[in-house]
Amino acid sequence: MRVSLEKRDTPLISGWSVVAMSVLAVLIGMVLGGVLFLPFEASPWEGYQSLIGNAFFSKRGFGYTLVTATPLMMVGFGTIVAWRCGFIFLGFEGCLLIGAMGGTMVGLGALEGGILSTSAPALVVTLALIWGATLGALWAGLVGELKTRFGGNEVLIALMMNFLAIYLVQYLVAGPWRVVGDMPQTERLPKDLWLPYILSGTRLHAGFLIALASGVAIWVVMAKSRVGFEMIASGLNPRSARYGGILVGIRQRQAALIAGGLAGLAGAITIYGVHHRLLDGLSDGTGFVGIVTALLGRMTVPGTAIASVLYGGLSVGGDAMQRQTGLPSSIVLIVQASIVLLLLATEVLRTHRIVLSGRRKV
Amino acid sequence: MTDIAPLLRMQKITKRFGASVLANDCIDFDLHAGEVVALLGENGAGKSTLMNILYGLYEPTEGTIEFDGIETTFRDPAQAIEHGIGMIHQEFMLVEPFTVAENLLMGTTTLPEGAGNLNAARRLIREISADYGLQVDPDARIEDLAVGQRQRVEILKLLFRHAKLLILDEPTAVLTPQETDALFEVLNRLRSNGHAIVIVTHKMHEVMAISDRVAVMRSGQMVATVKTSESTEAELVRLMVGRDLDMSVDRTEPKQRKRALELVQVQVEAREGAKATPPATLTLRHGEVLGIAGVDGNGQTELIETIFGLKDAVSGSITLEGRDITALSTAERRAAGIGYVPPDRRGVGALVTLSIEDNVILGASKDFTQFGLLNRSLARVAADDVISRFGVKTPDADFASGNLSGGNLQKLVLGREVSRDPKVLLIEQPTRGLDVGAIELVWGEIIEQRNQGAAVLMASTELEEILALSDRIAVMFEGEIMGVIPRDKATTALLGAMMAGRRLEEVAL
Repeated sequence: MRVSLEKRDTPLISGWSVVAMSVLAVLIGMVLGGVLFLPFEASPWEGYQSLIGNAFFSKRGFGYTLVTATPLMMVGFGTIVAWRCGFIFLGFEGCLLIGAMGGTMVGLGALEGGILSTSAPALVVTLALIWGATLGALWAGLVGELKTRFGGNEVLIALMMNFLAIYLVQYLVAGPWRVVGDMPQTERLPKDLWLPYILSGTRLHAGFLIALASGVAIWVVMAKSRVGFEMIASGLNPRSARYGGILVGIRQRQAALIAGGLAGLAGAITIYGVHHRLLDGLSDGTGFVGIVTALLGRMTVPGTAIASVLYGGLSVGGDAMQRQTGLPSSIVLIVQASIVLLLLATEVLRTHRIVLSGRRKV
Repeated sequence: MTDIAPLLRMQKITKRFGASVLANDCIDFDLHAGEVVALLGENGAGKSTLMNILYGLYEPTEGTIEFDGIETTFRDPAQAIEHGIGMIHQEFMLVEPFTVAENLLMGTTTLPEGAGNLNAARRLIREISADYGLQVDPDARIEDLAVGQRQRVEILKLLFRHAKLLILDEPTAVLTPQETDALFEVLNRLRSNGHAIVIVTHKMHEVMAISDRVAVMRSGQMVATVKTSESTEAELVRLMVGRDLDMSVDRTEPKQRKRALELVQVQVEAREGAKATPPATLTLRHGEVLGIAGVDGNGQTELIETIFGLKDAVSGSITLEGRDITALSTAERRAAGIGYVPPDRRGVGALVTLSIEDNVILGASKDFTQFGLLNRSLARVAADDVISRFGVKTPDADFASGNLSGGNLQKLVLGREVSRDPKVLLIEQPTRGLDVGAIELVWGEIIEQRNQGAAVLMASTELEEILALSDRIAVMFEGEIMGVIPRDKATTALLGAMMAGRRLEEVAL
């Protein structure tokens, strides 16, 4: 039997075909991953049941899923702004950590003896989130400045700055900000500074609402505003954009600030909503997975939000599965990666169809 | 000639794309050895589709192809070449750092006899080259060759592979008049040596000059096949377009003749590595078309981009109605009343992945903005206005602009710029690649703008266009303005001499 690809006369562009192919990719990815259960003499069916049940069908688990999805979403929204403006930014990990650091800095100032020790907790938290977002924005803005002013390579610069941020946080928690004890981490912030939990019986914190609000804001900017139009034009074709009177360099710098600001805010939220202290390994790839969720969401705000929740769910479910059944959660990571690859592969099916020995199939 | 069986017989060829597009509708096409047939038609008439079917790039939906008496369909171009059918595209497929001989040997699986090594190939190339008057040196590097010579290398490549049938797609689009004459000489030799040639074109005078027969296509159908000697240009145009064309230009006395744009000693930013050109001084008045003639790449684009603010002026001043605009950005110059239709419609003039509506916003996004948000209903009205006023053929304003044909895209770009009532309209290569119907419309609009009092600066490499539309003509050579003359004093010979680098003072005396 011969299998070949044949070009479609008209590419599939409808929303339903996208949904159908995405579901197909997820299913194939799970089937492929299912094979990995077999050496443990475990049933893939039960494994997935435990995974999905924990992630989406228990209140506590779903709360965790949304908590995990929160920074992913915000990084994803930042990706939409930067990438659609033609600024291929990969420095979200760094921005997130710098934002977390900035947020912690303000929080530590509110401890006894600090300059903010007499301020109201709400004011401290607000300041912390703003300061985190500002530092994140400046961190990314530096990359934008180097790219647009001097023609620097934004991919390389951002990746290097990620390392800078990772080791800066490591240095702080191991040295100047270290609390007495075994762990390299700062002192825990007092409870009145924590973001409030918004769903009883879960760990879902108010930061999730901030993420949703930022999604709405980004959607308005990109889909409805003049700034967004000019950013998208700059990303699609800088020559046309300049011809249309758009200041491409300025739009890209603005995009860098917005993207970095969102990641920085996500970092500060993670501190005030989840860890309540700065610690090493706090981001652990969130700044990269967030980019993936934006790609999976096809650079749209709702798509990115959904992809973030699914991705967050897989991680949470995978951990729960490991705890309950002893199966390694690396299976889930493999499934996640396979799904991403398969989703990208389905792009081909939009423009081509598979032909099996003369008989036509999708 | 008709008594002998034809070399090629395409019968009842039909090609559909999807359900709605019928690119070729039951087409018959014959070709004999030793004749040149011109395949004539407007853009989108189905010429390219038909030739791509012959060349194995497309599979016909229906119909048969008989070549050399045998029924065939080619799976891909490699197979077509093997059978002796070769095609030369508008963009040449040559590796620039390689020599002619290396280019010819490359990718050849079935080498002609005695061409197994480079030395033998060289000898063979010299032989073929001499036989057909191609004058190609097998050891020359492609990057050192002029466009006309590269085209001859492409022809040589086909002859080297024993092509009996040669298809040339718009072969003269990139050639100077002299190079075109040389090409026609080569084609004549090929014809007398028994090759069959198809030239795909929409240039009427070339059809008359070189072809034996003309096959005319319109909207996917073959409307007529006539002997060139028994036809006239006017009749062919009528067959091609389906109606009589009115290319006459209606000039009225413009409403005002005040100075619109003044360039004083403007030094254009030199390209990297290029030497600086002398500064330009030029005055453009309301109600006139100032044509800039010149061979492509002689600084026309750089000068116009400097006026539009896409490039900085190194020194000198640009004034618009007395106001110094030298320091303004492109957006500010647009707002001040300058419009620009660039030569590269797809790469610069439009955002091809976005809708027509979005493209109407481009360049004036501020005008469609309220409280920071785009007013889409306002934009829709403006887009619909451009579509209806300029007859852009599209289902609606949501249609992706990149899917418009070249003519319709140009109507969109020109329409957008004109709909903002510019004081100064800059326009480059207004009709490059357009068919006659679209040319008629674009010319009409340029003159309409002039009559309404706009100042039009138009750069074109087509002398015919310059002479038809301009009130005054400037000639550029190597970045320098050779002189400005009124149209009624301009002759082709005079302009030609200036285009070759002689100053008006030298020529006119």
